[in-house]
Amino acid sequence: MALLQIAEPGQSTVPHEHRLAAGIDLGTTNSLIATVLSGSAKTLSDESGQDILPSIVSYQAEQTFVGITAQAYTVADPENTITSTKRLIGRSLSDIKSKYPSLPYQFCGDENHPEISTRKGNVNPVQVSAEILSHLKFRAQDALGGELTGVVITVPAHFDDAQRQSTKDAAKLAGINVLRLLNEPTAAAVAYGLDSGKEGVIAVYDLGGGTFDISILRLHKGVFEVLATGGDSSLGGDDFDVTIVNYLVEQAKLVRPLSASLERQLMQQACFAKEQLSCHDEVNINLSINTNNHWSYSLSRATLNELISPLVNRTLRACRRSLKDASVSIEEINEVVMVGGSTRVPLVRSEVEKHFNTKPLTTIDPDKVVALGAAIQADILAGNKPESDILLLDVTPLSLGLETMGGLVEKVIPRNTTIPVAKAQEFTTFKDGQTAMALHVVQGERELVDNCRSLARFELRGIPAMTAGAAHIRVTFKVDADGLLSVSAMEKSTGIESSIEVKPSFGLEDKQISQMIKDSMHNAADDIQARMLKEQQVEASRVIESVQAALIADSKLLNPEEVLLIENAIKSLVHITQTDDINAIENALKIVNDSTAIFAERRMDSSISQALAGQAVDKI
Amino acid sequence: MNYFQLFNIAPSFDIDLSELSSSYQTLQKTVHPDNFAHTSEQQQRLAVQKSAQVNDAYQTLKNPLKRAEYMLIERGVDMPNEQQSFSDTGFLMHQLELREMLEDIQLSSNPEAALEDVQAILDNESLALSQIMQTQITENNRASNSAACDNLRKLKFYQKLNIDVERLEESLFED
Repeated sequence: MALLQIAEPGQSTVPHEHRLAAGIDLGTTNSLIATVLSGSAKTLSDESGQDILPSIVSYQAEQTFVGITAQAYTVADPENTITSTKRLIGRSLSDIKSKYPSLPYQFCGDENHPEISTRKGNVNPVQVSAEILSHLKFRAQDALGGELTGVVITVPAHFDDAQRQSTKDAAKLAGINVLRLLNEPTAAAVAYGLDSGKEGVIAVYDLGGGTFDISILRLHKGVFEVLATGGDSSLGGDDFDVTIVNYLVEQAKLVRPLSASLERQLMQQACFAKEQLSCHDEVNINLSINTNNHWSYSLSRATLNELISPLVNRTLRACRRSLKDASVSIEEINEVVMVGGSTRVPLVRSEVEKHFNTKPLTTIDPDKVVALGAAIQADILAGNKPESDILLLDVTPLSLGLETMGGLVEKVIPRNTTIPVAKAQEFTTFKDGQTAMALHVVQGERELVDNCRSLARFELRGIPAMTAGAAHIRVTFKVDADGLLSVSAMEKSTGIESSIEVKPSFGLEDKQISQMIKDSMHNAADDIQARMLKEQQVEASRVIESVQAALIADSKLLNPEEVLLIENAIKSLVHITQTDDINAIENALKIVNDSTAIFAERRMDSSISQALAGQAVDKI
Repeated sequence: MNYFQLFNIAPSFDIDLSELSSSYQTLQKTVHPDNFAHTSEQQQRLAVQKSAQVNDAYQTLKNPLKRAEYMLIERGVDMPNEQQSFSDTGFLMHQLELREMLEDIQLSSNPEAALEDVQAILDNESLALSQIMQTQITENNRASNSAACDNLRKLKFYQKLNIDVERLEESLFED
């Protein structure tokens, strides 16, 4: 008995439902969530009409506050109020301490797993980010009246593997299904490109609170091709503030270390002054150093410009390098799009204009453009726009390689390679009878391992003893569409294999994440079970839907026995999904996947030849 | 299916890059993982794999040196590996000269101009070499393929020099 219902050819038997999807801009200073509503992207606001959520989490005794409510505690309770957590995510403790020496937090945990001690216990930067993400998720679910099927989260293009992985882990903790990690400048280009309908080469200059990205893209017939990207994952408006703070400390003749609360006060004054100087020539700064000691100072725009000019120059240097990587001259740039709050600073605007010799575009709100682009991409990825002709081709921001003899780096995937990508390279043993090989995966542009970011180490064991140079060890690097790396190694003659999901040393382990999820739930065991069951059921329904649609469209690629096999597997999956037996569902899923593997491959190959056949017809 | 068949273009060294790019985009619109984000995990994995293959094929055909190497290997030419010794001593001597020129840039009174001079020499010489190689590949007989292979190896020397020029440039003009 056939299971399939009759439907129009090419259409799914399951009626198309609009899936709720959203884009999240998880920023250093502010975060936003946006969604596509009746065709256009909109940011979602809280009850008081605010769409911008300050990226601040405050751990107070009675509850954990996020956003504006947390902001109120920044000066009064700096140790328990975490700001700019994005600058800490995916970094080692010594890295954090050397980059940001005057943070008010009590750090604990070990070198590779830094934590902040708060009155609610120790928290990892990933958990802090998860608080922000989960706050935004609930805001969206309230506004849209349903659960989100998936979310696109933006990250700086320059984020390395550890920072990306940690962001994804934060989403997992927040119970969010991540459709894709999208690079912020690419998201901005999508929002801008679709809004203006313009084509050509554009530069996206994205200077946020904590990060700087420059991306060069070619826009052509719905294709957003990133030609090159560069930047600095620790350069942003916060650094402008730090420079101002240091200047003020000097002017006020203060001696460090200062109290955490005074540091916060200085930070706030600096940030306020910077913002005021965007539209005024001078601003008054007032500090209460202690109860009877007040200090005031007048800061001019000229002084500000002098202070931040080295930082702005650093961004321009990154622009030059990216143009070179893209093989694009300044004259070829049609438009420069400004993104991020820090592009409001007049010096930034004027220097960028001078550098690119064109007036930068600020038509879309630089604070919202990234979230809007992410929402558009989320809508497409969720499958709400099957007719969409948009394609994003993004790249790896940093070169990926392996350590070789003498502490040198052998690049396997150079920076600015279009993703997804898989590259293999062969290595050999250097000692007679060597039976194991240590692999050290690094990321960065420098020749020496010590100057690059160490991502992971793993070992390939059980290589048969041979003379030096006789073994052929094939190491494969794969970077997926989220920009995440996995590495595997294989000795060719024996087929002995070893692989690693590059879970960077600085992130969380899988078991830590599931422990945290457990801890965050009251009836831990039951809830985890329920969550897993639901995840399996969702995956099962995705599989059922897509296989049924595939059979209707392409059963001609199969012989009758193969069709029958698949139909039976689907039939039993449909049946088992209605139970709550997680293992049985998993089994049935595996049977369907195994029975459809060849079918899926044939369909993909047939769609490839059809795509180009269509193109050939177009040419005639 | 070889890369030329994949992109539905004639297997020649002299390819139309805009045609290649448009075929590439059409293929990616079909196989890119973004099209499969809402489907089963199996489909998503397959899409990542196919999309990576298309990317690899595109990068190979787009870049003249990689394209040459790919075509020669497809023709069954025995490609010597990079460590294998190189018999053209005249060429090697000249490479040493070029390396010395590169090292002298740092000592020059006007490094920027010196760098540009070296770059121009490298560009001219590698252009001449690649034109000869192109003719040899197009000729496609045993002798010409083997000669093309030698020239490809020479061009790789220039490619390495260019990487060093870039490094030098970055170190000279940083800050």
